[in-house]
Amino acid sequence: MLAVESLTVDYGPVRALANVSLQVPAGEVTAVIGANGAGKSTLMRTLAGLVRPNAGTASLEGQVITGRKAEDIARMGVALVPEGRSTVPELTVEENLRLGGLWRSRAERAATQQEVFDLFPILGERRTMRADTLSGGERQQLAIGRALMCDPTCLLLDEPSLGLAPLIVTQILELVKKLAEESNIAVLLVEQNAVTALRVAHTGVVLNLGTVVMVGPAQEIASHEELRHAYLGY
Amino acid sequence: MMRDLLRLPGARLVLHAAVALLAWLLLVGITGMVDPLMNYYIALMAMYATAMFGMTILVGLSGQVSLGNGALMAVGGYVFAVTTLNWETVPFTGIAMNGIWAMLFAAIGGVLIGLLIGGLGARLRGPYLAGLTLGVAVGVPAIANRFPELLGGETGLQLTVPYPAGGYAAAGEFVDEAFTEDFPTEQQDELPTEQIEDLPTEQVEELPTEQDASGDDLLTLDNFPNEGDVLTEGDVLTDGDFSADGDDLLTLDNFPNEGDVLTDGDVPTDGDFSADGDDLLTLDNFPTEDELPADPSAPDGALDPEFAVDPDVEATFDGLDGLDAGFILEQWQAVLAVSVACIVAFLALNLVRGRQGRQWRAVRDDSVAAAVAGISPGRSKVSAFVVSSVFAALAGAVFAQILSYVGPGAFGLGLSLSLLVGVVLGGRGSLWGAVIGAVLLVWLPEFVLRAAGDRGWEEQVTNNAPNLIYGLLVVAVVLVAPGGIVGSLQSLVRRVRRTPASPSAAGLAERVDAGVGKDDS
Amino acid sequence: MTSFIDYVLGGFGSGMIIALMALALVLTWRATRVVNFAQVGQAMFTTFIALSLQTLTGSWVIALVGAMVAGALLGVIVQYLVLRPVKRADTSGAIIATFGVLIALQAAAGMIWGGDSRAYPQPFGNTAITLFGREWPVSAYDLVVVGFAVILVVGLTLLFTRTNLGLAMRATAFNPEVARLSGIRVGRTLTIGWALAGIVGAVAGVLVAPTSAISPNSFDILLVFAFTAAVIGGLDSLIGAVALGIGTGLILSVVSGYSDSSNAPVVALVLLAVNLVLKPEGVFGHHKARSV
Ligand SMILES: Nc1ncnc2c1ncn2[C@@H]1O[C@H](COP(=O)(O)OP(=O)(O)OP(=O)(O)O)[C@@H](O)[C@H]1O
Ligand SMILES: [Mg+2]
Repeated sequence: MLAVESLTVDYGPVRALANVSLQVPAGEVTAVIGANGAGKSTLMRTLAGLVRPNAGTASLEGQVITGRKAEDIARMGVALVPEGRSTVPELTVEENLRLGGLWRSRAERAATQQEVFDLFPILGERRTMRADTLSGGERQQLAIGRALMCDPTCLLLDEPSLGLAPLIVTQILELVKKLAEESNIAVLLVEQNAVTALRVAHTGVVLNLGTVVMVGPAQEIASHEELRHAYLGY
Repeated sequence: MMRDLLRLPGARLVLHAAVALLAWLLLVGITGMVDPLMNYYIALMAMYATAMFGMTILVGLSGQVSLGNGALMAVGGYVFAVTTLNWETVPFTGIAMNGIWAMLFAAIGGVLIGLLIGGLGARLRGPYLAGLTLGVAVGVPAIANRFPELLGGETGLQLTVPYPAGGYAAAGEFVDEAFTEDFPTEQQDELPTEQIEDLPTEQVEELPTEQDASGDDLLTLDNFPNEGDVLTEGDVLTDGDFSADGDDLLTLDNFPNEGDVLTDGDVPTDGDFSADGDDLLTLDNFPTEDELPADPSAPDGALDPEFAVDPDVEATFDGLDGLDAGFILEQWQAVLAVSVACIVAFLALNLVRGRQGRQWRAVRDDSVAAAVAGISPGRSKVSAFVVSSVFAALAGAVFAQILSYVGPGAFGLGLSLSLLVGVVLGGRGSLWGAVIGAVLLVWLPEFVLRAAGDRGWEEQVTNNAPNLIYGLLVVAVVLVAPGGIVGSLQSLVRRVRRTPASPSAAGLAERVDAGVGKDDS
Repeated sequence: MTSFIDYVLGGFGSGMIIALMALALVLTWRATRVVNFAQVGQAMFTTFIALSLQTLTGSWVIALVGAMVAGALLGVIVQYLVLRPVKRADTSGAIIATFGVLIALQAAAGMIWGGDSRAYPQPFGNTAITLFGREWPVSAYDLVVVGFAVILVVGLTLLFTRTNLGLAMRATAFNPEVARLSGIRVGRTLTIGWALAGIVGAVAGVLVAPTSAISPNSFDILLVFAFTAAVIGGLDSLIGAVALGIGTGLILSVVSGYSDSSNAPVVALVLLAVNLVLKPEGVFGHHKARSV
């Protein structure tokens, strides 16, 4: 389980996150939704160690991760798929995957890689091709695959649906849900597309101007009229 | 109040002209009061400043790191030398050539090479441009070797400094075979700080005994063509050698850009100097005892600033002291260099503070945004290159007159690096930075030499100390004070001003704006 | 015709050295997106160290190994102390800083070893090889140079394509953020890249020294040639750097053979300029916008 405790992040004079607390239980998908600039990406990047928080902590299975280097947090099992299709375009599909779990033993890596290929068969077919030859959806699969290669206990997905066709979005999110449940991973999912996100999530978190305005079961949030009007704009 | 006045049309122009004119008057006044060595330093500083005003625009404002400006100076220097040595009259006009025309041709050369290299470089970013200009710095001076007849090859060309009313020696007259062969090629590699001091010093150094004392370099001196002439006091120009009413010569009114000077019969022409022109060279070689220590091969004792004055040298001083008002070569060179620097400073001030300066900065900071705002990034970069190239060419023409010489060694990679060092230390993007950089380039080596003399450092340590300091300073400045000396002073002043007041609402708003402006992209 | 072939062959040795120096430039570029203009300064410095070791021990091999160790150390020092702290936004700063290092290194070498050119002892035969009843413009030493270059290039290629370290280095070069998120210790990887470049540069320096004398400035021109080769090769490409390095050496040799060696810098400049105009990303480069 990933526990976030009163996290505060400032970019100079701009407060991007104010006192954010939430919990991401293992085996569940927790969706963070909010308007542009709500601080969703900031939350994810802070958890992954790319941004230093001004105050507050985050801990994974009771171990504090805030204040550590991004590379160490990754090795502790927190894998972030950042916003935009974050693969290394110059490397092949297989190299991108190898990258994800470089510090693990060869055998462990091979096993996980097989699992990823089972999950995303297209990657297996394209394993020797350069990542920049993949389609957007394929590349997103590769980005998630790379994150899975370190056998994460916590998966952070920042807008995996960005620029993808609705059908593929649904597919990918369904997959993510399956992954969380079957592999007992704590998944934190950031989405602009609140409807789709809340459909697969167990818990919903609504972020507005850097503060958590509501936490609750996904269905409940999806059906909360006023909330939708006030913060999600539909 | 002041601000309002500045809004008047043309007010800035007047202000800048006043600044430049004041600086010119002040500096020219100083040249009349100091000794020849100091004038030599003033000339060098003005020359460096001229070139570095261009560097400020290119590196600081337009954000293009160039290592080629030494080579652009070479273009100016060579154009100056070749036109003065080969052309009796200005082509197509029949007007007699003089220093001003030659400088004009040098500037035109600067425009052309600036267009060429700037055009090539406009599409290139960061290291690519730096690499291309590095190639320019090494490749362009090497062109001299390609045309030994015209450009003098490795040996370079000796030239006489056009006095007010100018007279020039014919091409190649001073270059004999032996000299060509024995000229040390290593010299090419030396950084200009050494180079600058080497050249005049070597020409000055006449005493055979000293030559024996100081190793291989000196072979060249034996072969220096005018040796004999240089030595004897009788050959040194005195009042009598110039026109009878020599006083005219001494005034700045005779600065050759005035048309009447050219035709005025009172002013001496070639003929008034000794016919073979050799004597003229003696003025180049006007020996200043303080220059001697600068020669790396000079004996240790020479490093002492109190170095005993050579009797011959003393005599020469006496001879020229009689001239009073200002026909001493070094002073003329200083006045010339200062004049060019002030004109260039005036141009630079107008460019930097005007619309053009804003465009350069806009393209540097964000070329896409600038393009959206209707500024062509390519044209803006090329124009910065051309301006800096013209300034460099003018500086090169001045340099040629300070050295009385052009050669590939004088304009090598070291000179280009020096310009970069000066502009970075002084402050990229600030014209004051260029001036401070120029002062540093000239005085730091002197300071180190003096310190070394006092402490009795070994020669090879002493000679390399200035460059070691430059290199380390450049790194330090980039890391801790990217604004250089000027930038640091400015931020210091700002901090001092701000401390008493609590962070103002306006300041905060400014910072908030800046933060929001960086929205996630 | 014979002389043409001779000129071409004669360019092989120097071409290999240009290739190695270009390789060093490519290595630092790939690691940190910085063209290390101080690279030849570092190589000059380590070659002087090698010369001192050679004089001390009399062993060419010890001298070479010493230079390689010194090269790695110097690379690490320059990267760690100078380039790492340069502010990212200051794009000119990194370039200027490398020139600062170059100036300082040359001055330091001048202080320690003096400014005069010094001969570097020939470890192997420098006489032309006679084969098929004809003398070839290639010496045993040239073959050694070629051998070293081939070993280094093959070794580096294997390192980059086959090992985890190589993958980490490539990923870090292309996308440091994804590399960090993948658990790669990015800082360390960058420094290793500079160390490798330092080693390659050191080897190039020790190999070139016997054919030309060594002085604090003697490698300046090599920097221009190597940069030309690296850029035309595409700055990112090891193969490109080597191929173009050799190519540059051959062209310069032919040009020098038919005219004069002092034309070489001009020719390099023309090659560079033409290439930058026609193909700014280099022959082997990737065709994508690059933010430097
Ligand atoms: N590097 C940065 N420097 C300064 N301000 C930043 C930076 N990154 C984000 N911000 C600001 O922090 C706030 C939150 O940004 P963040 O990227 O976390 O929003 P978001 O919820 O992910 O938005 P979106 O849905 O558009 O991705 C915004 O106001 C943004 O301008
Ligand atoms: Mg976001």
